[in-house]
Amino acid sequence: MKFTAKKFLTLKRLRTTILYAALFAAAAGMMFPIVWMLLLSLREQPQSYSTFWALLTAPTSLLNYTETLSSDAFGLYFLNSAFVSAAITAGNVLFCFMAGYAFARREFFGRNALFISVLVVLMIPPHVIMIPLYRMMVNFGWINTFYALIIPWLVMPFGIFLVRQYVMNLPKDVEDAARIDGAGEWYILFRVVFPLCTPILTVLSIYVFLSNWNSFLFPFLFSNDEAHRTLPVGLAFYQGKQSIDWGHLMAGASISALPILTLFSFFQKQIIEGLTAGSLKE
Amino acid sequence: MNQRHSPPLNTALLLAPWILTFCVFWVYPLGYALFLSFTKYQTLTNTAVWAGIDNYRSLFRDDIFWIALGNTSVFSFGTIPVTTALALALAVLLSGNSRLQDFFRSAYFLPSVTSVVVVALIFTNLYSANGYVNGLLRTLGLPYPARGWLQEPSAALSAIMLMDVWISTGYYMVLLLASLQTIPKDLYEAAELAGASKWYQFRRITLPMLRPALLFVLVINTIKSFQIFVEIYVMTKGGPLDATTTLIYMLYVNAFEKPDMMGYACALAYIVFLITLVFSLFQMYLLQVDRAVGE
Repeated sequence: MKFTAKKFLTLKRLRTTILYAALFAAAAGMMFPIVWMLLLSLREQPQSYSTFWALLTAPTSLLNYTETLSSDAFGLYFLNSAFVSAAITAGNVLFCFMAGYAFARREFFGRNALFISVLVVLMIPPHVIMIPLYRMMVNFGWINTFYALIIPWLVMPFGIFLVRQYVMNLPKDVEDAARIDGAGEWYILFRVVFPLCTPILTVLSIYVFLSNWNSFLFPFLFSNDEAHRTLPVGLAFYQGKQSIDWGHLMAGASISALPILTLFSFFQKQIIEGLTAGSLKE
Repeated sequence: MNQRHSPPLNTALLLAPWILTFCVFWVYPLGYALFLSFTKYQTLTNTAVWAGIDNYRSLFRDDIFWIALGNTSVFSFGTIPVTTALALALAVLLSGNSRLQDFFRSAYFLPSVTSVVVVALIFTNLYSANGYVNGLLRTLGLPYPARGWLQEPSAALSAIMLMDVWISTGYYMVLLLASLQTIPKDLYEAAELAGASKWYQFRRITLPMLRPALLFVLVINTIKSFQIFVEIYVMTKGGPLDATTTLIYMLYVNAFEKPDMMGYACALAYIVFLITLVFSLFQMYLLQVDRAVGE
């Protein structure tokens, strides 16, 4: 009896060890390429490294960073990315909130039909509108301006969907009470409901900011000049120019990835929630 | 108190940004793309000449189209089972572990917050002729593509597929983990009391309870995989020898790198749209969106 209990315990411990070994191995595998990028960006010698040890023990320097930031305009790309992502995020918070609230609380003719427009757009792959949208930007004279990078994306249907679901689950009493107190509709909207929506608007902001910070296709199509390049676009062009110099290229990649990775280490829960909300599943 | 008292002007104002965006940036381009797909579009003169279904007909006769469709299918149906299985395994392993769960969850999610361009550049380095992957294979005494993974027609697509598994596993793991945590604990307790093995519990409780979430993950992954473009553009530009040309990469090349092929590219765009639409409708069905509308 005693023997089997002991045997059972060892078995259980063995199982736990194997489980943790597997989980840690997977975590190491997920982090490895990122660590590789960071280490490579800190190496001055632009040679190729075929073992982790060789890369780890090579001398460290920040030269790649100072050079990509100053002479290669990555400082500018960084500002462009920050500006474009922030503008789109602000627009989505405001406009998706307005539309989501209207769908949740107002009754009007054609509400369901209009809401279906939101769902239909969710199903359209962006590649279908890529060509006509490009022609449109050419005709508007918006190529190589921030307008093209920002204005088409100010109201994402996904955001409307999120806000609508959230507002529908809010109790109406607060709004009704404010109405009885004589508050106007705009006051109720922005001073009463908006603060109540902070959690979902945070999730939405994270999603919109991150996906635009990392977005490549449309910024790439709509900007040919250096002045309006975002980080992913700048990186792709840089690769064409400097295909051999991995140190510089990885410094550029790190400049693009590090701010997000830093944010991620502080706000893991919120960011994971924000990005998985993108699949519309609670 | 009664909503009908709210002035209609306000409601219109609230919805104006969406209606404008919807009409200008979605409906119009969608219609214009459909129109262009039936024309020969001259880029220089900005004229579209009606061509009927010519674009569609020549598309189906285009060898590159079939290669691209094949590559996209291999990519999608090759990565999706692997990604899903890995994501499921990690989610199940993690769900029993509350102590370090947050740490592991974040570690696995790391690739999802990193830009695909950045990831593609890192893997281009790892896959290069004298890169880490070849170094590892050499040490282990295994065969490796001496010119580099992305330069070898028979290896390039698999290399990108492997990278994509790395990118997306953590994301789907988080989705499945969230769903796993909604399974009532007493189901497992009852099974435990009845003497059911862990494997039996996994097959008879976990899998059936997870079925909707798994289906959902499969569908969104399929939609995403059929649209693969950035990885291809950054890593191989469709090469070597069209070994990694996917549908959207072919669409990009025809639209933006060849003269007068925009109409043709629009026809291709609509074909890809129809393929993903089937999966999207299925996704909407899974989400029971019809119920959401009626609410």
